[in-house]
Amino acid sequence: MNPPSSTSKYSVILPTYNERKNLPIIIWLIAKTFTEHQLDWEIIVVDDASPDGTQEIAKQLIGVYGEDRILLKPRAGKLGLGTAYIHGLNFCTGEFVIIMDADFSHHPKFIPEFIKLQQTYNLDIVTGTRYRKTPTPRLADSVTPAGGVYGWDVKRKLISRGANIFADTVLSPGVSDLTGSFRLYRLPVLRHIISLAQSKGYVFQMEMMVRAQALGYTVGEVPITFVDRIYGDSKLGADEIVGYAKGVFQLFAGV
Amino acid sequence: MTRAQRVLATAGVVAIGYSLLFFSILPVPLLEPEAVDSILPVLPWWALVTFGAYCLGRLGWHVMTIRDCPEAYHELMSEISAAKNDLRAKGVTVD
Repeated sequence: MNPPSSTSKYSVILPTYNERKNLPIIIWLIAKTFTEHQLDWEIIVVDDASPDGTQEIAKQLIGVYGEDRILLKPRAGKLGLGTAYIHGLNFCTGEFVIIMDADFSHHPKFIPEFIKLQQTYNLDIVTGTRYRKTPTPRLADSVTPAGGVYGWDVKRKLISRGANIFADTVLSPGVSDLTGSFRLYRLPVLRHIISLAQSKGYVFQMEMMVRAQALGYTVGEVPITFVDRIYGDSKLGADEIVGYAKGVFQLFAGV
Repeated sequence: MTRAQRVLATAGVVAIGYSLLFFSILPVPLLEPEAVDSILPVLPWWALVTFGAYCLGRLGWHVMTIRDCPEAYHELMSEISAAKNDLRAKGVTVD
């Protein structure tokens, strides 16, 4: 793949809670990716008063990478993802914002691919998808097959796909992976959509895509590999499923 | 207009159109009356079953075709080791 060349600056907002073990590594990977592709970057760590010393580690990393590259912007308590992004947005100095998880389910190596798609089609938003094998709109020199998941058994795949098809039928959002949270946004676009968003958790991620489509922003998708939960277990109970269905219907009726 | 409103409006139009045909207020142009009588009453149920079958088919297809990526996992594991070594050398506390 031809690497993207860009003079824009890219801000990564990384909300953290108890990520002492993962934070240095994910920052190392992000820094490596941006440096290898000669892109201007910064990471904004929004830590919700982690009791495990995440902020200490962040300060050490500031020492290694520099205050202009890593910004630590903590908050007083566990206040939720949407507000973490809003908080982080106040400190972004880049033209583009990337949001992603700090638990290695999202690999920074896909960021240059997001950037390339965005530049090729001048998109407002690029989202990573676990369910497609090629980017949309099409890129001539994309590597195939691409994308996928690791660590999902059949039951998990059924639940995930079922939820996705349900949301897709009800909302027709135009993206194949609605609950994904590995995305690149133009800064003003993210600001605009976030100011309208009302839900929490993964419904929040869905709402962003649905609102983006309703507002006419252009969205592209890049296949990503999603390595699920290399540390710890994922629990999906009946409550979550009901919450998800409610979230989808709220978006159906509200956007 | 929200998506819900659009869907309800479309559904309303379709329902009205269907009712007009069903109650013979409007004639069905190309088919004989016997054919119309046997098809029209079951059309909604047919649509429902077809939709259900389509959704199930889609679900099965997509579950079968999600790609597994063990190579991504292994690549990630070795990158994590490399990162840990490099960071320790630079003085960052890595558990």
